[in-house]
Amino acid sequence: MSVAWATLRRSWLVTRRAYPWSYFIGTLLLGVFTIGLAYLGLRAVAGGEISAEFRGKAGTGDYLGYIAVGAAAYMFVVHGILWTGKAMIQEQREGTMGALIVAPARRLPYLLGFSAFAFTAVAVEVAVLFGCAALFGVRLAPTGAADAVLAVAGLALAVFGMSAVLSNVMIVAGEAHIAQNSVFHAIALLSGFTFPREYLPEAFRWLGEAVPVTAAMDVIRGVFTGGTGLDPGRLAVAVALGLAYTAAGFLAMPWAERRAMERSY
Amino acid sequence: MIETVNLRKEFGAKVAVDGLNLSIPSGRVTGLLGLNGAGKTTTIKILATLLRQTSGTVSVGGLDPVKQPHAVRKRINLIAGGERMVYARMTGRENLWYFGQLYDIPTKVLKPRIGQLLELVGLTHAAGTRVEQYSRGMTQRLSIARGLINDPDYLLLDEPTLGLDAPIARDLRKVVAGLAEQGKGVLLTSHYLAEVEQLCEHVYVIGDGRHLAAGSPAELMAQTGCHRTVRITVTNLSPQIEAAALAFDSRVRLAPGGVVELNHPDDLTGALTTTIIESGGALGGLEIVEPSLEDAILALSDRSLEVIA
Repeated sequence: MSVAWATLRRSWLVTRRAYPWSYFIGTLLLGVFTIGLAYLGLRAVAGGEISAEFRGKAGTGDYLGYIAVGAAAYMFVVHGILWTGKAMIQEQREGTMGALIVAPARRLPYLLGFSAFAFTAVAVEVAVLFGCAALFGVRLAPTGAADAVLAVAGLALAVFGMSAVLSNVMIVAGEAHIAQNSVFHAIALLSGFTFPREYLPEAFRWLGEAVPVTAAMDVIRGVFTGGTGLDPGRLAVAVALGLAYTAAGFLAMPWAERRAMERSY
Repeated sequence: MIETVNLRKEFGAKVAVDGLNLSIPSGRVTGLLGLNGAGKTTTIKILATLLRQTSGTVSVGGLDPVKQPHAVRKRINLIAGGERMVYARMTGRENLWYFGQLYDIPTKVLKPRIGQLLELVGLTHAAGTRVEQYSRGMTQRLSIARGLINDPDYLLLDEPTLGLDAPIARDLRKVVAGLAEQGKGVLLTSHYLAEVEQLCEHVYVIGDGRHLAAGSPAELMAQTGCHRTVRITVTNLSPQIEAAALAFDSRVRLAPGGVVELNHPDDLTGALTTTIIESGGALGGLEIVEPSLEDAILALSDRSLEVIA
């Protein structure tokens, strides 16, 4: 695990030096705006009232709590992919990919180091976000500590699997923005972060099932906002898809790295 | 020993390396030369496990880089002068520490080694400075230290002195020679042919990915007909003296400014000078130009181009 630890430390050093204070200001503002805009939207559009249809589909009448949990999970996913999925293309851009590949370190602990940093950083952001939400009366009430841990672990595995696959796509294409932004928009639409998936056309709901974070979000919703507790079936789907994506990503990684090296010769 | 047999690499329709057979033994610096686009870097990247050959075999100390890449990577390292290969926002010491972790080097070994390598490349004073504040030469020196962090059995050097100041390049050459004396196998590509002449006992010359010639620098020069050139300036050159000089050897040429020139495998300086003097010539100057590896490479490359044309 020395590679994972070293990579976590490296990420901390680089982030602290690259964004000495703006990163943390941005984090704070993100939390304030996410909850503030949801609050204003609720007041301006819905007059502060939640429809019975929304209550039925979301399993809660606490709209701000629903948004806070969805926004926190979305931040978790986005930052996980930005750090872990973009790690290799960042190496390519910095001119260090060759030095990394020629070293015998395995890619699993290397990417785990980035994930550990991403999830640690996002934990701070989520804490700020829920601090802001608390000012609007939102209270986080998971159905149990074990449920909460398993739900977050399921989401983390789903994000890691997607990051492994996206890492390959990015270095083979030599481009990060289309890959990451397309994915971010797609999952924002399909995976139930800001509205219940039941509002989506059926074809879109099935499409969402191919994304590991969709099942993980169902688990998160059950534990944190729906009050229905941990759904073992959906957790199993999230874990299975997360593992499948992880396996596919790591199996294709040597090929993707060689293609990336070939592009520069 | 690193060995390649019929090594071939295609990038789509382009053949970058075409049937190369190389032997890079331990304890020797082996050169790999050719003009730009000859396939040198591609060959080095294949040996470094960064690329996979289209066909042919590679063996690194008896290991197959395709089947055992991790085992090979523990025993090799790569220094490429054209690439940075170190992290800009980390200090020199932090970079070496991080790469030490990637090679799983125990802390009690790594810590003193970092100090030694920083001293070796003259960066002890800048160990705590971020690389983004380094000059290009300092960054390159750190990259060299990174390439030595795992004490590799085989070192692949692709233009390692590119952009280095002369004293640092000289020190690096001493390091490379020392590594070979310690028993390590070194493969070197460089545009500085004097560097290759100084360091390499054996040189492969390639063009368009194909083998052109191999041998010691002296053998390559002999193979390509690159010999020492004698230039004698005659202050009173007359038709009679010209005739005597031209009759001396069929390789004698007359150049502007009363210069008689001879390029020959044997040392005929004394005999030609005597002939000129005996025919009434007065010597204004004598210049002997030794052949260089550069002449040999250019001659080989020209021949290669003629064959292609």
